[in-house]
Amino acid sequence: MADPHQLFDDTSSAQSRGYRAQQAASGLGYPATSTLPQAAFLADPVSNMAMAYGSSLAAQGKELVDKNIDRFIPVTKLKYYFAVDTVYVGKKLGLLVFPYLHQDWEVQYQQDTPVAPRFDVNAPDLYIPAMAFITYILVAGLALGTQDRFSPDLLGLQASSALAWLALEVVAILLSLYLVTVNTDLTTIDLVAFLGYKYVGMIGGVLMGLLFGKMGYYLVLGWCCVSIFVFMIRTLRLKILAQAAAEGVPVRGARNQLRMYLTMAVAAAQPLLMYWLTFHLVR
Amino acid sequence: MSGFDNVNSDFYQTSYSIDDQSQQSYDYGGSGGPYSKQYAGYDYSQQGRFVPPDMMQPQQPYTGQIFQPTQAYTPAAPQPFYGNSFEDEPPLLEELGINFDHIWQKTLTVLHPLKEVDGSIMNETDLAGPMIFCLAFGATLLLAGKIQFGYVYGISAIGCLGMFCLLNLMSMTGVSFGCVASVLGYCLLPMILLSSFAVIFSLQGMLGIILTAGIIGWCSFSASKIFISALAMERQQLLVAYPCALLYGVFALISVF
Repeated sequence: MADPHQLFDDTSSAQSRGYRAQQAASGLGYPATSTLPQAAFLADPVSNMAMAYGSSLAAQGKELVDKNIDRFIPVTKLKYYFAVDTVYVGKKLGLLVFPYLHQDWEVQYQQDTPVAPRFDVNAPDLYIPAMAFITYILVAGLALGTQDRFSPDLLGLQASSALAWLALEVVAILLSLYLVTVNTDLTTIDLVAFLGYKYVGMIGGVLMGLLFGKMGYYLVLGWCCVSIFVFMIRTLRLKILAQAAAEGVPVRGARNQLRMYLTMAVAAAQPLLMYWLTFHLVR
Repeated sequence: MSGFDNVNSDFYQTSYSIDDQSQQSYDYGGSGGPYSKQYAGYDYSQQGRFVPPDMMQPQQPYTGQIFQPTQAYTPAAPQPFYGNSFEDEPPLLEELGINFDHIWQKTLTVLHPLKEVDGSIMNETDLAGPMIFCLAFGATLLLAGKIQFGYVYGISAIGCLGMFCLLNLMSMTGVSFGCVASVLGYCLLPMILLSSFAVIFSLQGMLGIILTAGIIGWCSFSASKIFISALAMERQQLLVAYPCALLYGVFALISVF
């Protein structure tokens, strides 16, 4: 295929870049005697400076954003939670729906840092909660659409109300963890990840409700509620309770009792929220 | 600059270079100072001579790789006279950087979902093709009586932003926003097929549902395949395909309902 017009520069090689710079240097000496008509405007020294200034401003702005975004959103920490692969996601979804046969719930460590989710099915991740949240919003839109109650702003409404409930949960649990003065390595992002796992059950319930009516909805939602309850208890027990209690040895003491109640309260809140956020979608 | 030896020496040799089309267009490492990259024109270097449309030249064989823009043009005609006249301006499409040939090549890559894809395909972020596809999608929706350009635009913007964040978090190397937008735009092509079906017959029956599901699968499979090969992500194809499927599912919702 013949292509006599060279349309694009090969910018991938340093050689062409250097060549272009060399040409640019030679072109600088004749700012006013440009031979191409559309270059007349560009050869004007004032517009040169304006463009140079504008582009350097843009570059500076970009650098500033890149530097500061790490202050507000810990990107490298977040990357840990997205280091997943397909096998992990499959196993984790299975665990969320059927946690009864899984024996070992400890997260493996590697020299003081937890292992990436790719390598340990017990590690929390943010891919599943994020995808489940977005899918929940879309399924809610679908459910409302089949009942002829759909409008695009309702999607936004669903999204913001679900986010608000999530934020409320996180704040409440952090507050109670603080009040109970428990020494735990449960970070906020971990908590968001654990609380996001319930959306998987909610999606299942709503989809079954769409296909099979209220009976299907209640069955699937009931099953998912129980499984998420067990999942949360088993996972949080290792994080919140003291080591001895986690191993199953009953330890007397008010502190451990309090922590046990806290774990159960967090786990019990999940089914309640699952029902609250989905019952109005299934008629 | 050996190629200019046979040219009138009182000629002004311009030094225009088209901006790097990728997102990182501003860090040239300071070569040549602040003026070195400000010209959005064409590099009329010794190897790339501009041929005015009224001066025909024998066709040169295209010796570069298909998806790599290279300086592969070797001149065979005398140097054209760079006057200040209107006819000597480059064609509008060249100036805008729209290359129909490249667009066609990338389109063919999307349309063959089972073909192996080269990772370097997305080195040049080209937003002209995706723009054309978005407009074509809106046009087919218009034919079906739905004036929803705004939704198409909004959903594609939000979807591209979401995919950009997700892919940056999931991959080892980062990815630029232009690359994400380009890939997602090209893989919108099968969706245009779906919306043109919607013009002829309604998609709300069983056949429509199967067709919709198939087309969504096709789009997301192509997009995830290109992302995986361009970003060298292993064992994550389904994980990348799922959010793509969600995005294209929303487009399909617009087509169907």
